[in-house]
Amino acid sequence: MGKKLIIMNHVTKRFGDLVVLDDFNLYINENEFITLLGPSGCGKTTCLRILGGFETADEGTVEFDGKIINDLEPNQREINTCFQKYALFPHLNVFDNIAFGLKIKKIDKETIHTRVTEILKLVKLSGFETRAISTLSGGQQQRVAIARALINRPKVLLLDEPLGALDLKLRQEMQYELKEMQKELGITFVYVTHDQEEALTMSDTIVIMNQGKILQIGTPEDIYNEPNSRFVANFIGESNIFEGTMISDYLVEFCGKTFECVDKGFEANAEVDVIIRPEDFDVISPSKAKIVGIVDSLAFLGVHYEINVIVEGREYTIHTTKIRKIGDKVGLSVEPNNIHIIARKNHA
Amino acid sequence: MRRLRPYSLPYLLWMGLFILIPTMILVLLAFSNLELYNLSLFQLTLQQFRIFSQPQILNALWNSLKFSLLTTLICFILGYPIAYYLSSLKEKSRKILMAMMIVPLWSNMLLRIIAWEKIFTPTSIINDLLGISFDLLGTETGVLIGMVAMYLPFMIFPIFSVLEKMDVKLIEAAKDLGASDLQTFARVTFPLSSGGVVSGIIMTMLPAMTSFVLPARIGLGRINLIGNIIESKFMKEVLGSSGTSINEGSLISLVLMVFSVISFVMITRADKEGETLI
Repeated sequence: MGKKLIIMNHVTKRFGDLVVLDDFNLYINENEFITLLGPSGCGKTTCLRILGGFETADEGTVEFDGKIINDLEPNQREINTCFQKYALFPHLNVFDNIAFGLKIKKIDKETIHTRVTEILKLVKLSGFETRAISTLSGGQQQRVAIARALINRPKVLLLDEPLGALDLKLRQEMQYELKEMQKELGITFVYVTHDQEEALTMSDTIVIMNQGKILQIGTPEDIYNEPNSRFVANFIGESNIFEGTMISDYLVEFCGKTFECVDKGFEANAEVDVIIRPEDFDVISPSKAKIVGIVDSLAFLGVHYEINVIVEGREYTIHTTKIRKIGDKVGLSVEPNNIHIIARKNHA
Repeated sequence: MRRLRPYSLPYLLWMGLFILIPTMILVLLAFSNLELYNLSLFQLTLQQFRIFSQPQILNALWNSLKFSLLTTLICFILGYPIAYYLSSLKEKSRKILMAMMIVPLWSNMLLRIIAWEKIFTPTSIINDLLGISFDLLGTETGVLIGMVAMYLPFMIFPIFSVLEKMDVKLIEAAKDLGASDLQTFARVTFPLSSGGVVSGIIMTMLPAMTSFVLPARIGLGRINLIGNIIESKFMKEVLGSSGTSINEGSLISLVLMVFSVISFVMITRADKEGETLI
């Protein structure tokens, strides 16, 4: 990973009494694909708008390539944005939409033509030059929006839920293509989404946000496997969360049973949250299991079944490929390294 | 749709009685020597067209063109910034300003013309209050100011309604791509409001071209527009004079009508969703 391209230092933004970004600190590396992930209203779009220059931070500084850019207008930043609903110019055709940034810079016609043709090829829209925007499908408009933002060869591309309006199949295709493009062009992508799957698939780094604060920063693997709070565990993938007690290093108690685990360093009898992913439970025969319950409901999700098992009045969610019927008695086991333990925080 | 058809009958009847039949009579009068007092003398003719060689008529046509173009130009220069300003306001202050523009429109146009007539008199109330006096009755400037005041709202509203609906994201997108405020206006805001501008121009120019009360009262009859000619042609007939004045009046009216229809087609072309028509 290269040098730090963007540094946000103690950035705070308020709309009236509402604190949208609360002492926000983040750095973004060169050539990084970084995703801001969080529920709607968590401040991720505001963060992007501050980077783009459409909002100014009330407190703190935004540094870009070593310079503080708080007061720079959007048109003076080497950052381009791909807007949520594309914001393509309806009075211009595909070519003129994409060429907009170059025409503003008064670049000569031939260069414009070459570069637009080049980028149309990149977004797989060759031959669409003279089409009106209104005749394009959602996916095609998306590609035009990306091409238009990339033509200026920005150092950073900001993407605000760019795939939100597309259907699942197209979205997956575009996720792959966006990632490819980012690698090919070597541009830093700052991506905003509330879709955790999208974030996991595409990002180098994920920033989990809630209520204007950063909860966790890490690679997709880190965040999925080692969530640092209940919120993160719940937000990224499904989780079974139990309240437990750390008996000693490598030994945790929850649901009235003691389990081996791989965590250590907690105080004796520290209260902890125990997180177990639905796919980390193994369904075994009841006679061999510590946890025994009754199948309460079952849904076929394609790759696997999702079954809810009631154990002593508590519901467990389990993903398994083994078929069980409602009412079946099942045993559950979990490997020590699949038990994730986090210190319990009162506010989480 | 079919079930609703009976309900359109009163409307169709109204249209037929007050628009279709009068228009047919107008066409008949324009292309014949028919006199309303003497139905026996009926002959199709194109002789009315010779009026377009009369200096008085040509002068009135020229005046109509000149005043309507000037009025439209001034209304556009004043109206666009006002519409732009209005669209940038918060809802509350915008509503107050809109009301200030709309409420006067509800008063009778003749009243407003008479008000201007008083203002342009040297001994006006403005002179009493502020010591400023205007003596613009019977002058071209007076007529022009009156017309601009009368038709400015019709320029502002259509432009405003387009600007108000414009997606702010488009302006942000332009800035994001490196455009300055001026470039954003020239390349995005203005082109996207062109539908409203066309509507505004036509909605100002048409009534300005055909106005006759205003030039008659503020111009003291010294400045004749084509509307004044039509009026006088028809008045002659009402007053019992014979000759072909009503036929000539009909022909001029018909020419203006064709012009209106062409303009209407132009509005609907420029503004397919009809969002700018009030």
